[in-house]
This record gives sequence, structure tokens and C-alpha cells, in this order.
Amino acid sequence: MYNDIIIENFSDPQHVGDLESADIELEVGNSVCGDRIRVQILLDDNKISNALFRAWGCATSVATANIFCDSLLNQSLDSVCQRDVEYKQQMLGELSPSQHHCMDILNELHQLLSEQRVAEDVANG
Amino acid sequence: MDRQQLAGYFDYNATTPVSPAVAEAMTATLGQFANASSNHAEAIRNRNAMQQARVSVAEMLGTSADKVFFTSGGSEANNWAIKGRLFNHLNKPGHIITTAIEHPSVLETVRYFEKQFGFKVSYLKPQSNGAISISDFMAALQEDTQLVSMMYANNETGVIQPISEVAKITSARGIKLHVDGVQLVGKRAIDVEACDIDYLSFSAHKFYGPKGVGGLYIKENNSLSPLIHGGGQELGLRSGTENLLAISGLAKAAEEAKCAIAQWDQHAQACKHLMVDLIQQADISVEFNGDTTYANALSNTLNMAIKGVRGEALAVLMDKKHGFIISIGSACSNNKQKTLSAVLLAMGLDEERIQSSIRVSFGQYTTTADIENFVTALNQCVKQLSAMSFAS
Repeated sequence: MYNDIIIENFSDPQHVGDLESADIELEVGNSVCGDRIRVQILLDDNKISNALFRAWGCATSVATANIFCDSLLNQSLDSVCQRDVEYKQQMLGELSPSQHHCMDILNELHQLLSEQRVAEDVANG
Repeated sequence: MDRQQLAGYFDYNATTPVSPAVAEAMTATLGQFANASSNHAEAIRNRNAMQQARVSVAEMLGTSADKVFFTSGGSEANNWAIKGRLFNHLNKPGHIITTAIEHPSVLETVRYFEKQFGFKVSYLKPQSNGAISISDFMAALQEDTQLVSMMYANNETGVIQPISEVAKITSARGIKLHVDGVQLVGKRAIDVEACDIDYLSFSAHKFYGPKGVGGLYIKENNSLSPLIHGGGQELGLRSGTENLLAISGLAKAAEEAKCAIAQWDQHAQACKHLMVDLIQQADISVEFNGDTTYANALSNTLNMAIKGVRGEALAVLMDKKHGFIISIGSACSNNKQKTLSAVLLAMGLDEERIQSSIRVSFGQYTTTADIENFVTALNQCVKQLSAMSFAS
């Protein structure tokens, strides 16, 4: 029902909190089940130096937020935005049908990050 | 039984562990393979054991053995009572009264007759305290009401429905009353004859018996058509070779319940009081769903909304971090559809409260130390989840 990746990341999440001055802030929600996740990201020399989340939702969506934050650390925005479908599926492990909405949440977090990166590129000329 | 497993088990309304005496009775029956409907000595011995089992169950229900019929469990008993009665009205389908908080084995069966055969159905909603109001029931009655099907106690909230009052009305009007007693039988003493109930369903695994066996009390056995036709067992009303192994477990569970029901109930009530007190001392922000008083609710059940946390997440954390098993009021289903408790929805609770709700149910093996440990863990889990949320 809940795979080991989900259990570990939900039961003992390491990336809960707030950043005082985040460079990027992402917020996703699922209107159907009411899940809500906010991720704040700190950049250092174009690499992600910290990522923290806050979440209200089911166990799998909380785990998804922690998995996402953990996966960002020390990565460049480019590398994160280039992740393919298979890679993202492996991040959450095998999900039951009732947990599939968390794959959508993970995809949306990546999508929002890509959009922010493009926006920043435009802003920086 | 594994004491550690029992210490974390707070889901007795889902099912109960088989008691040692029940296990012993079933083990003793394992070798008795003779078909109870045959005529050799071993078969007759088994037939006598069946009859003794029927007596044990009848004594628990306050009736005579000839009115107790064995089934594969509560769902079959519910299906049988409704279908068996309504089959008699297929030539002129009339009106049925049930409630929005019934078990699916009642609701889906009634819906089937509504869609397939054109019966009209009133689905009564409970008041905010979880109980059906008698005035609503009275208002729903029609000239052609042919069946009332109402549960005795709700599985999610533990709220006891006004069956005695309903029975007086149905009896006076000559309307058949089916009561799904699955959650109440074995938890509170019951006297079906005094109550004037026509059909009462029960299930062994809700009171320390095995799964896969239960039964139906039938006041007048010519009032019901069979659901399963065949070899004519159970006075021709429920065919199929008798499952003596399971029935011996049911009988022992019934004997134990008859002897210990007051003690179990008192113990459950003490557990309930202790849990409520400890939760309030722990400063956990809780709203109880449905009436929690002794007169109006089962002693072993608490349904509560915990502000600021998701019930599903809380249940997973309680299980994975502390080994406590509880039930929830809502679950994720898929991306397009949410699954909210139909019972809590019918009571008029809002979505946020339902999503924050958990059900705790305990039983004879729950100790006061288990309750204390449970509330300590609950407090820790609520704090952990609240700390992850936006409000903190």
C-alpha cells in the first residue's frame, strides 16, 4: 500500500521548514483531495543549496514533497528540469492507484520549476 | 495471541481477534468432517453440535434456536433479509425505508431493487448527532411501505439508532423490520423478541469469533424467501453444506459474549472515558463526531476530527512510527474523485472535518496502558504533522 520510499520520506522528513529569503517558491495543490505543498528553494552559484517544504495532505503527498526537496540538493536547475518520466517515476517508487495523484504533484513541481527557470532566463536577458 | 499486536490494535469495529476459547473450540472441531446432513453416527453428532450452536446463539440474542439461521456472515445476512423479503413483492413493488448510513451490503442491495425492479426508496439522513430522528422516520412512512432496513449501531460513529421506537411503529403497521445488528451484537445485550424485530443480521468476527460466519434471526420463517437454493439445509431457507468448523467458533463466541458482555461493555466505557480525558489533557484539538454518551453510542467507539491534520496521514504515521492501527474518514481514491465517509457526509459534516477524522475502536484486550500509550503517540503524531503544515 505504501512503499518503503514513501514510508521513509513521510515518517521522518528531513526538509520541512521555511527559508527566510528563497530564490524560488513553488506551490501546488490538488483541488480534488485538497493536498497543498509549498517548496522554497535557495540557489548558490546556479546550484540548489537548500530546499524546504510545507505540506498539508495525505502521507504520499507529504513524502513527495520531501523526496522532491531532497532530490534538488546540489543540483543545477538545468539538470533538474531535464529529468525524464522514467526518472521521476523511480523517485516515488511503485504507487497504488489511490496514490497516482502524487505523481501528478511531482510532475507539476518539476513543471513549475522549469517555468521559473525560463522566466529567470528571460529576466536576466 | 501476540500481546504486542493487540496493544496497538484500535480497530475492533473492523474486526476482532479470535478469542483463545473460540480458537480452542474450532481446533476441537477440525477433525469432525462428517456432513451434518448425513445419517451416520458421526453426522448425527455433528448435527447435534449444530443444534447446540444454534441454542448458544439464540441465548445471546434472546430468542429460541428455531429462529436462528447460519450464513456466511453479515453481508449475506443483510442481502438475504432484504432480497428474501422483497422477492415477495416483485409483482407489486412498493416503498422501502433505509438510511444513508447503512453498510454497503444494505445500501447496494436496496439500490439494486430500486433500479432493477422499481421500488421507491427513502434514504433517511441522520441528525448531526449521528442518529436517525423518529419524526423523520414517521414522515417517510407511506401506505405501501413494505420494508424498513436500519442498522442498530453505526460502524463509524458507534451511534445507536432508535430501533426500539422504530420497531414499535413497524410492528403496529405490519411493516417488516430488518435490523443490521452486526456492530451491536456482542457489544451490548440484545433481546430481539422484546424489541419486535423481524430480521436481525449478525457476524461472528465482530465479537471474537471467526470470519466467514454469521447469521440471521428470523421471527417468522415463512416471511422470507431463500437466497441460496439447493439441498434444503437450514429448514430449506439457506442451502449449502453446514460449515460446522466456523459455526462452532460462532457458538463459542456467542457463549462468551452472553457471559461477559456487561463486563466487556463496562471495560470499553472505562477505556473511552480514559481516552477522552487523556486527549483533553494532551491539548489535542478534537471534535467528536456523533453522540458519545453511553445511552446513545457504543462504548468502544470514538470518531473524532483532529484540527489541522489529515486523518489519512495521521493513521499512516500512527501505524508506521508507533504500531497503532486506526481507521479514517476519508481516503485518496484517484485524481478525479475523492472518497469521503458517506456516514460523516450524511451527518452534515464539512469536507475539512471529514478529512481530519479518524475512528478509534477498542475491545476486551485493550488495556488502560494501551490507551495511555495510544494518546501519547497520537499527541506526538499530531504535533509532527502540524509542524509540517502551513499553520505552524
